[in-house]
Amino acid sequence: MKPRTLSGRYARTAYLFLLPAILFFAAFFYLPIGNVVATSLRTGPQADQWAGLGNYTQALADPAVRHSFLVTVAFAVAVVAGSIVLGLALAMAIDQPLKGRVAFRVLLLVPYLTSVAIVGLLWRNILDPELGVLNRVLLAAGLPAQQWLNTAPLLTIAAVTLWQSVGYTMVLFLAGLQGIPETYHEAAKIDGADAWRRFWRITLPLLAPTTLFVSVMAVISGLQAFGQAYIITGGGPGDATDLSVFHIFNVAFRTRDFGYSSAQSVLLLIVIVAFTLVQLRAGRRGEVVY
Amino acid sequence: MRRTLLYLLLGLASLVTVLPLLYMVSLSLQTEAETLSARAVVWPASPQWGNYAELFARAPFGNFIVNSLVVAGAITLAHLIFDPLVGYVFAKFRFPLRNTLFVALLATLMVPFFVRMIPLYVLMANLGWLNSYQGLIAPFLMDAFGIFLMRQFIQPIPDDLISAARIDGASELGIYRRIILPQTRPALAVLGLFTFVFQWNEFLWPLVATTTPEMRTIPVGLTLFNQEYFTLWHLTAAGSVILFVPTAVLFVFTQRYFVRGIALTGLK
Repeated sequence: MKPRTLSGRYARTAYLFLLPAILFFAAFFYLPIGNVVATSLRTGPQADQWAGLGNYTQALADPAVRHSFLVTVAFAVAVVAGSIVLGLALAMAIDQPLKGRVAFRVLLLVPYLTSVAIVGLLWRNILDPELGVLNRVLLAAGLPAQQWLNTAPLLTIAAVTLWQSVGYTMVLFLAGLQGIPETYHEAAKIDGADAWRRFWRITLPLLAPTTLFVSVMAVISGLQAFGQAYIITGGGPGDATDLSVFHIFNVAFRTRDFGYSSAQSVLLLIVIVAFTLVQLRAGRRGEVVY
Repeated sequence: MRRTLLYLLLGLASLVTVLPLLYMVSLSLQTEAETLSARAVVWPASPQWGNYAELFARAPFGNFIVNSLVVAGAITLAHLIFDPLVGYVFAKFRFPLRNTLFVALLATLMVPFFVRMIPLYVLMANLGWLNSYQGLIAPFLMDAFGIFLMRQFIQPIPDDLISAARIDGASELGIYRRIILPQTRPALAVLGLFTFVFQWNEFLWPLVATTTPEMRTIPVGLTLFNQEYFTLWHLTAAGSVILFVPTAVLFVFTQRYFVRGIALTGLK
């Protein structure tokens, strides 16, 4: 469409309308980004001594930083895998002509509305080896009680995260499924393809953009999880759930080393941005046109 | 047979999502002894409604509620005022640096909050805004997501409508208020809903930016309450219920918009 009626003459109005936004994004996005990079190059209790890349080389060699990063990646991978499998399964189930679809959708989405504070506290209580209701249920069913937060802490907090977010991924997949033309499945049916084949050959490939979006979103949010470690596990047992943002938070606000924590923030940001770009590029190549 | 299986799967999944929240309600009505008993209580012998009153006696919970309302409310209002205006400019105006500014705006979507956390903390400390409403609100007044959503929504509005109004002598702000804004109502509903729910639930920044109990929002108040006073599960659960109920009620009435909002913002 040619923007002939609204051309340059109105530039002044445009800038006037944009002014608050320009000031806001400058002050609360671009200035902080500049500052976090500047601080990452400094050291000392006031972050006033020049350190050059010292914080970065220190962070890259620091076993605690490496460990927290690996823990974070493992957590994100678990959340992504769970989101895709469970989200897609639920979306396919709810996409059928069933009674009470809206009710199911509502019930499955409810945890998405809760704060990580609620999720963390509630599940800390439910999973508690002594007070927890979950072990009571297991014992009542004749099964042995479990110490999830000790035996598989990372998987457990990933599962709790999934509990909260699965409704969201389900809705995204549902929208994707509804975008696939009915005729594709019908044609395949006529050609004699069974349900399993139709899933692998039609549904899954045509859902590729949705799956990509779901995984990008889940990776991004998984890599910056915080409340799960802060509230449920306190990073433990030991350092088993020392998620990166929790680690950065502790370095910044418990040990007050702003230079070192800023460098770690920048490193994590680089990883997230790189990851996102790679995923998006991979997606563009594999995108299905229909 | 297949139907039964589907109902079973969805029913089971729904139980898993909802039962823990019902248990939270149960916990909020138990006595402290019940919450600590070795055999977990599924439902209290006699519901302790007094727990909800005790919450206000044991912590500045009234403050938490007011703070949450003020912060989430102010941020939502700011989004509703600014996001459509900025979205309109990017949808309908041509001006120098337009694309550069738009890319600079979208680039902020790639910046997770934790990257801004430390510099914002230092900035707020320097401004003397830590532990204040302006400190809690300022970093979230606008976001690229809402602006992008509004731009997408405004773009299809015919240009002729705007030029006609201009020929009729309408002011620029008048055109925006009388022609553009009324058409964006459904998008504004989605935007307002999402902004409020997310800000109501926000945890990290209020944790970092507040230092006294009186300035805490409910999510942070809950956890600090929890640590400072031993683990009072019945009160923690009661506070969680209070935090959860407003969003749940809002959701029941607006779930259609909510679902459409996720699908729309997710896939565009």
